[in-house]
Amino acid sequence: MNGGAMRDQWYPVAIAAQLPQKGRDSLLLGEPIHIATDETGGARVTDGAGRILPIISRYGHIWTSLGQPEQDLFPIPEADQPGRRLVDVGSVKVRCSPLRAVENFLDIAHFPFVHTDILGSEPHTEVERYEVEIRDDVDEVWATKVKFYQPQAAKSAQGGITTEYMYRVPSPTCSILYKTSPPRPGEWDVITLFVQPLTEETCEVWPWMALFDDDSSMTDMIHFQQMIFVQDRSILENQIPALLPLDPGKEIPTRADMTSIAYRRWLKRHGYTYGAQLVAA
Amino acid sequence: MNWTPAALSQDIPSGSAAPGQLGDKDIVIWRSASGRIAAWSDRCPHRGMRLSHGFVRGEFLSCIYHGWRYGDGGQCHRIPAHPELTPPEAIKVPVFAVVESGGIVWVAEKDAEPADLPMEFAGFASFRTIRTTVPASIVAAAFGCTGLELRGTLGGTDVVLLLQPLTDGCNLHVLAADGTGPDQLDRVSVAVEALRRQAESVQEFAA
Repeated sequence: MNGGAMRDQWYPVAIAAQLPQKGRDSLLLGEPIHIATDETGGARVTDGAGRILPIISRYGHIWTSLGQPEQDLFPIPEADQPGRRLVDVGSVKVRCSPLRAVENFLDIAHFPFVHTDILGSEPHTEVERYEVEIRDDVDEVWATKVKFYQPQAAKSAQGGITTEYMYRVPSPTCSILYKTSPPRPGEWDVITLFVQPLTEETCEVWPWMALFDDDSSMTDMIHFQQMIFVQDRSILENQIPALLPLDPGKEIPTRADMTSIAYRRWLKRHGYTYGAQLVAA
Repeated sequence: MNWTPAALSQDIPSGSAAPGQLGDKDIVIWRSASGRIAAWSDRCPHRGMRLSHGFVRGEFLSCIYHGWRYGDGGQCHRIPAHPELTPPEAIKVPVFAVVESGGIVWVAEKDAEPADLPMEFAGFASFRTIRTTVPASIVAAAFGCTGLELRGTLGGTDVVLLLQPLTDGCNLHVLAADGTGPDQLDRVSVAVEALRRQAESVQEFAA
């Protein structure tokens, strides 16, 4: 039985609108699973022994669990808000820890160097102080008042703007980002990173978006997000060690890494250690 | 411990960085704008990113992930997320001893470097490096030799082959006799690739 405390979480395993007609084999927490379409056209997910696993179809994806989830999937109220376009970005397989993929998503300081001239550019590299907390009532990591200068914040952006961000981590391998919507500055665009842990050192990343953008084509919005993630992948597959170190001392954070520090602390507190390194090697 | 031939000088031009190995350790070999060579641990202490993916500006090597900038002795000089901050001295990349001689970049553990400078190969010039998944001993045997420093001929030219054991095979650093012309060097290339294939087929046969 893999995954420890992470076994009872929900994980994305497919796009709901693109179920595999002939079925597809995959992995979850190192164990084989099979995703198929049932007689009614709905999704059916089974484990290696043929046991039917619980599923939820929400936020464009099919979610499943190997354990007994005590809670419903985390809420994203904006998903039901009128006027948003819901974008199934697709999946990208990455040879990295699922936790490293989430931590990178929470990081803004890399924008000028990894997403050069898109999400950031020199000399606009400074990360101003922002606020981070673990919200005990909902048991989520939150970062707010995050600001960053961006040359092209989204497909819909015309020129550089200072974008405001909020980050949420509601489950160990999922994160939700709220950022200033270029066409509607009073609203937040929602960009998520849903990560399926295949093994401790490989994952399938399923980004999903709920955007205010009436002009860009679906293809353009998908390509924009995929381009960003492929840039991230060149980092994620070259970090040493592959596992995310949870013990202090193995890596040196700064003030810009407050979200990552809180995320690591929250993972450790809950025993969410699939994909983590606990004893400094 | 002896000096290890880790790269050819010509393969690390000014302003560039490349991955290498010393024993089982991953290293970055890089050269500053003014031409200074350095060999460091291939890992940024911030978030573990390989520094060999980084970029060189002036006398500094920066990590590609967050642009942390490192200089002499592996010391961190700048953290772009906090431009006003002087990075603490503790933020430092472990460094290795490095010497260039005869067109070869030689590396050793810091503070355990051999007292003598690396051997020189008078009458030979560095030509190229090829990598194979075959252990050095099998490559040497395919060349009819033993050891890590082989002498003989390839494609009709006198050569020195320096074998550098890696965790998953070895590097062959090829030195060709001084004055070898371009056509002859092409024949050396063909012959060293044939040697590699021969060694790889020996290994497959043994497996």
